[in-house]
Amino acid sequence: MSSGFPFAIEAFCCPKAGNRPEEYEDAWAFRTDGAAGSARVAVADGATESSFSKLWAILLVESWVRGRAGGPEALSRLEGARRLWRRKVGGRKLPWYAAEKASRGAHAAFVGLALDPAGRRWSAAAVGDCCLFELHGVGPGLRLARAFPLTRSEEFGSSPFLVGSIARGGDDPSPHLRLAEGSLPHHGTLLFASDALSAWLLAREERGEPAWEAASRLGVADAIDFEALVTRAREEGARNDDMTLLRLTSLPD
Amino acid sequence: MAYKAEISRKNPGCFLFLLDQSGSMEDPFGGGEGGRKKADELATIINKLIHNLSIRCAKSDSIYDYFHVGVLGYGQDTVVKPAFEGAIAGRDLVPISELADNPLRIEDRVKKTDDGAGGLVEQTVKFPVWFDAKWAGGTPMCGALKTASDVVQRWVSEHAKGFPPIVINITDGEATDGDPKPEAQALCSLGSDDGAVLLFNIHLSSTAGAPVELAARPDGLPDAFAKQLFEMSSQLTPFMIGRAKELGMPAEDGARGFVFNAQPVQVIQFLDIGTRPANLR
Repeated sequence: MSSGFPFAIEAFCCPKAGNRPEEYEDAWAFRTDGAAGSARVAVADGATESSFSKLWAILLVESWVRGRAGGPEALSRLEGARRLWRRKVGGRKLPWYAAEKASRGAHAAFVGLALDPAGRRWSAAAVGDCCLFELHGVGPGLRLARAFPLTRSEEFGSSPFLVGSIARGGDDPSPHLRLAEGSLPHHGTLLFASDALSAWLLAREERGEPAWEAASRLGVADAIDFEALVTRAREEGARNDDMTLLRLTSLPD
Repeated sequence: MAYKAEISRKNPGCFLFLLDQSGSMEDPFGGGEGGRKKADELATIINKLIHNLSIRCAKSDSIYDYFHVGVLGYGQDTVVKPAFEGAIAGRDLVPISELADNPLRIEDRVKKTDDGAGGLVEQTVKFPVWFDAKWAGGTPMCGALKTASDVVQRWVSEHAKGFPPIVINITDGEATDGDPKPEAQALCSLGSDDGAVLLFNIHLSSTAGAPVELAARPDGLPDAFAKQLFEMSSQLTPFMIGRAKELGMPAEDGARGFVFNAQPVQVIQFLDIGTRPANLR
């Protein structure tokens, strides 16, 4: 998919091995504004251990790309997304265990970015372990300039703090909100990935093994390429989880 | 590497609970201060464990069979037998979905929950009951461990690459059919390609004393029964120790799956079935 601007946005996704496609619980979204020349993109990862988390992940990314806020105000639309989640989940007739699980809310990791192409400036916000990678260069010369919010593979655990769909004491995501800003060079790429893929990419980087070209336009051009990448990652020990890659590539002017 | 097998619907885990339903469970629990019998405490613990396990496996409008669960009762005229009642009576292992759908009854209970604004609000919740308090006869713990070995052996032969079964024995510790340690060792000699069976013990004592959770050493345990059950208990895996710490439990390196006069309902969280939000309570 190309926006028609001097950058292209593409997204690829794959469910956890053994799960059906409809059980995929990550979500991604992007929105470009032709007049302003701006773009907003987001990836969210609904937690396995909460209910209706796919719905919550979708609401989070849609809320981000339809909003304008960033920086410290990045979570300003959270209450609206929570209201929508409650409206869609409430009123269902559920067995006792499903009702109690739903009452605890859904949870998701989130990373969102707003790009202003005029100055090639970007600002990003994240809670949890969905990551943004800023890459410079092309082809085999591609190198990692920045990883956000996690920077090392050992930082990925199975119990991150996530954005919850129900507000309750001790569950305020604001203290866990991480912010970053940067500018995209002419030969620049921004990758957004859910946790299992992010951890695998960083682990390869740490071992000095080529990682970034495999996830760039040279390595992944279509869904078949992405499935091959996921298979390779899992063979190399990546956690069996939903995997999502959203890529924003700066194109020649 | 041991204890690394993924737990999924395709490769489910196995919990086998052993319930001491002997006559001595009629005695007061923990020094008798709460007016409760040990059998009452046991029923509360097993109902909460199955409740928590069901909630953990619940997913949107259904429940995923991440685990198969068995419950063996011992006592009751000195026999060991599957303890389920109702539609699943007589079966030794059932998928968690069948267990969740077949409690004896569901009671409405009121509990106080966070209102999101710093206060508490009363909420009516469903409290399913699978087991009522029972007590009669002797304490054939050796027989229970032996029967557990039979059930586990069958499970691992059918799930050779899966996460090894976890056996949780809830008892006052006073076996009447011999020394249970050799049977415990025999049980823990079984396992899958991923590791040996893990045996945890929850000791409900008439002795008053500070609750002990996941001790690494037997120091301070109040009696010989507690020490014996401690010795029979498996060490927690490194992942379990990490998870226990995340949950605020005092687990140090070498900690064993042994609890004295406490309700270790969080033990259900010790296995990894996917991303678990740190802020999920």
